[in-house]
Amino acid sequence: MPPLTTRARRAVWLRQFLLQGCWNYEGMQNVGFAYAILPALREFYSNRPEEGLKAVKRHLEFFNTQPAMGAVILGAAVRLEERVASEEADPRAIGTFKVGLMGSLGAIGDSFFWGALRPMASVAGVLLAMLHPLLGIGALLLLYNGAHLAIRWRGFTAGMEGPEGAVGWLKGAALNVRTDDRKLLSAILGGAYAGVFAGRFAVQGGGAFHALAWFLFSAAAVHLFSVLLRKAVSPSEILSFLLFVGVLILWR
Amino acid sequence: MAWRFLLATVLGGMCYLDRTAACQLMLHRPLVVATLMGAIFGNLFAGAQVGVVLELIYLARLPVGASIPPDDTGAAVFGGSAAAVASSSVGLDAASFTGLLLLSVFVAETGKLADRFVRKINVRIARLTAESVDRGDARAVEHGLLAGLTLFAVMGAVLALVFSGAGVAVSKGLLPMFGPASRGNFASLLPALPLLGAASVYSCSRTERTAAVFFLTMAAVFGATVIFRWTG
Repeated sequence: MPPLTTRARRAVWLRQFLLQGCWNYEGMQNVGFAYAILPALREFYSNRPEEGLKAVKRHLEFFNTQPAMGAVILGAAVRLEERVASEEADPRAIGTFKVGLMGSLGAIGDSFFWGALRPMASVAGVLLAMLHPLLGIGALLLLYNGAHLAIRWRGFTAGMEGPEGAVGWLKGAALNVRTDDRKLLSAILGGAYAGVFAGRFAVQGGGAFHALAWFLFSAAAVHLFSVLLRKAVSPSEILSFLLFVGVLILWR
Repeated sequence: MAWRFLLATVLGGMCYLDRTAACQLMLHRPLVVATLMGAIFGNLFAGAQVGVVLELIYLARLPVGASIPPDDTGAAVFGGSAAAVASSSVGLDAASFTGLLLLSVFVAETGKLADRFVRKINVRIARLTAESVDRGDARAVEHGLLAGLTLFAVMGAVLALVFSGAGVAVSKGLLPMFGPASRGNFASLLPALPLLGAASVYSCSRTERTAAVFFLTMAAVFGATVIFRWTG
């Protein structure tokens, strides 16, 4: 079996950005995954269309993970398909591998990307946007995508070395440590954001006592809101309540 | 005005694509979208002001599994366009600003419903794709993905058009109905909004040291800001 051509490899890499292109409640990212791996399957099964069709069907099974972490699984699935096509591996190994990894990688990815990297990039962007909006946008996009694209690329490359490469890369990447670091940085930047706005609204010339009272009130408000958010109260519900209060104010 | 709506539809639609269907490069974040809408409707800085507050408010709702968070992209389309138009008509005072941010909650929830609707239609597309592959047509995968992508893009473009239209309508029609005195009272709610955003970040970034680090930084920056305002 000749190795995957650079053209097909590039096509798979680019197509992974559309993993959620047909996100649906039944198979979730299944169509996106099959679409992404299709250029590789076409090369592996170019002379055996029936087997190629079976391979496509394999990838239309349920699949869902954090989209950026999907790159690792995609790379490893390409390598496994290559082994299956050259009859070195059982086709069932691919499904087992994907199912085994998508849940844990989804959890790691959700925690890192949505729970740590995105808040950090957002709050850094917002703080810089107070100086100039374009500076803030630039910071947000650079901070997020610097890590996002690097992880996609390294994950995909490691996956292309096979399942062993993917697992080895995951151990080396130490995403849990990186998650904690970014969460801490988010907390620092978030505290700065809260401090800036609480300071802005402090009564000018109100004296130290007023300032201290306003700070304590602001800190209590942040704490109260965070308790509500942790109890799964939606920000929309909190905003609706504030809107209701606002309407009452207008009515009076 | 028509070309502004056309631009808002096209660029807003592209930002919506980034939200779920393609890339996830954070082009759909409120800071980006509200600033963009502000620029399209005549005041980049007014849009950015909305983006600065909206960016953090919905962060605590994660797009995990089948859960769909409120549509903060739509809220930014609405808020950004409304703020830019208001700044050149009634003026973007604190009360109008608060009102726009609070009204954006309806937009965020409507966008969420639209997103859910598209994902339900995609179930049908995915089934048709699987049936076509069963019949021996592997290209159906590409057609299926293109159909899903088109659906997300159309939904995004329609939402961007409707929400920017709603923003302009609110700024031109609703805000001028309230006098400065009643609007002034409304502004008392404004401090709650950035604090809700900060709480969102705080609840996202839970570690053992988060509470100490967050509130110490908040105290230090608050002190520095107050002293700067008093002396400056």
